[in-house]
Amino acid sequence: MNKLAKILLAGLLVAGGYSNSGGSASGNTEKETVDAKEVYGCNVINVFSPGEYIDEDVIPNFEKQYNATVNYDLFDSNEMMYTKLQGGSSYDVLVPSDYMIERLLQENFLQELDLDSMENQDGFERQAMELAGSFDPDHVYAVPYFWGSVGIIYNKNNVDPQEVEEQGWEILRNTKYKGKIFMYDSQRDAFMIAFKALGYSMNTENEDEINKAFEWLKQLDDTMEPSYVTDEVIDAMINGEKDIAVVYSGDAAYIVSENEDMAFSEPHQGTNHWIDAMVMPKDAQCSGLANAFIDYISSYDVAYANSVAVGYTSPNAQVMDELSSEDGDFYENNAYLPREGYDKDEIFHYSEVLRQELGFLWNKVKN
Amino acid sequence: MKGFSKMAYPYIVWMVIMIILPMLMIVFYAFSKSGNDVLTFQFTFQNFVRFFEDSVFPNVLWRSLKMAVATTVICIALGYPCGYIIAKLKGNNQAIMILLITLPMWINMLVRTYAWRGLLGYVELSSEARVYVGMVYNFLPFMILEIYTALSKIDPALLVAARDLGANDFQAFLKVTLPLSLSGVVSGITLVFLPAVSSFFIPKLLGGGQYVLIGNLIEDYFITSGDWNFGSAISFIMAIIILISMYVTRKLDRTAKEDEI
Repeated sequence: MNKLAKILLAGLLVAGGYSNSGGSASGNTEKETVDAKEVYGCNVINVFSPGEYIDEDVIPNFEKQYNATVNYDLFDSNEMMYTKLQGGSSYDVLVPSDYMIERLLQENFLQELDLDSMENQDGFERQAMELAGSFDPDHVYAVPYFWGSVGIIYNKNNVDPQEVEEQGWEILRNTKYKGKIFMYDSQRDAFMIAFKALGYSMNTENEDEINKAFEWLKQLDDTMEPSYVTDEVIDAMINGEKDIAVVYSGDAAYIVSENEDMAFSEPHQGTNHWIDAMVMPKDAQCSGLANAFIDYISSYDVAYANSVAVGYTSPNAQVMDELSSEDGDFYENNAYLPREGYDKDEIFHYSEVLRQELGFLWNKVKN
Repeated sequence: MKGFSKMAYPYIVWMVIMIILPMLMIVFYAFSKSGNDVLTFQFTFQNFVRFFEDSVFPNVLWRSLKMAVATTVICIALGYPCGYIIAKLKGNNQAIMILLITLPMWINMLVRTYAWRGLLGYVELSSEARVYVGMVYNFLPFMILEIYTALSKIDPALLVAARDLGANDFQAFLKVTLPLSLSGVVSGITLVFLPAVSSFFIPKLLGGGQYVLIGNLIEDYFITSGDWNFGSAISFIMAIIILISMYVTRKLDRTAKEDEI
């Protein structure tokens, strides 16, 4: 009997060890290629993207069309992506957010794209281009992928819409909703909310303002019993687990389309407007095909499929207009169309000092 | 025998590459300033000073230790009777019970913890209680198996002898079974306490993110903050604590073994 127990125990220790290694890139099935190999000299690209960010047919279609292989890896957060890059992983295409692209550019990590070889770079939405221009003024390093804002999603049956509009971010500290709140577990987004609620810039480095923002969050933590979540918030709000949540606009568009009790609001104190874009590291192994991939994603059909599948706002003006029009999937879904030209909305800029300090303070808030 | 000992070499090489080297790297990072590489090593205690200068980090450490101790105690309280009952069963039934206990472990821990998330969604529980449920659930089988193994090794003749010499059931348990099974309890403690003290995904998944333990801090500093030096310093402190607790359990184990003789 002992033996049996020992064997079982050993077996599950081994199983546990294996399962920890996690899933990495799929194997390189070297198909005999006609196109990609002839045209670009290589037919494999490694793409690193956030999870649940693409229509499932896009990659197989691209592979077929170019007779190529795409190794499509996923990351949970920009920071995780950066850590993996530091570990020496090599990719041809990355899909990070604005402030992270800014950081990669500062660190001289990215190469210019070959825009002359691309055909689908005309139809971008004005605001998406403006956002991308904040870190890439000449539009040579980054091609927009999705964009949006951060806001509050709430259950219309339990929360008065007027109250949400009036209080904005402060509703997160309204004790009427104690225990009914999902807060986004990211130092960046949490402090953005506090800075904005207090009327500061989300890019402030002023010590006094940072301390006040810390107190704001600390009070929220002390009085509201919030749940700190990340991507789980999507399913949780579709199931109506809580009444109020901080979400990205694209996730909100999806939640609203799945649960009609939910509504989205961009707080009047201002919020973060962000953009995720495709960039190419300097050490890309197959830059020709990578440029083709970036252009492929920008095409009308693919942009349309991705936006429908994921719910995030397309940077392609035509796609965005059609999906938000009367026949579109996101008609009257205000989360799909982030507001334009509101002077309190801002984009994040990368700051090493802020990142370290806020990281520490955020851990302090949660204790 | 000489031929056999040579077969250990690949294993030693493996251990050096997979265990010793990473540990050395953690020590290296823990005692160097951020942004340094091997060529420009600058020795510093700064990372450790930073850990202890604000109460945040020691608090997290303290909470993790408390949580791990409590988990271990609950696992002993539940696991000992369970292992005892199984050891008393007939041969075939024992095998079935052990199979039942190990069966869920064929599924990955992460997946099972996710399942608990759904289950606990229906009950009103504090986030602390949720984390405890997840911890005890995940680590209890290790405790049961270790205790069961120790108990089933006990020669039944010893109990007969104890009864023969006038001990009642309870006294026989106290004087014979309990001391002889302590070594199982001790190795159970090792198998439960160590993973419990460094667990990070259970508090993350079940604690609603409100429950930061030392494992979460390490993950956070390596992945989100990208501060490998401070993350390594926390890991180093953890490693010291784990070494101390292993030393203590070893000691206990030895006294338990001596009692057997």
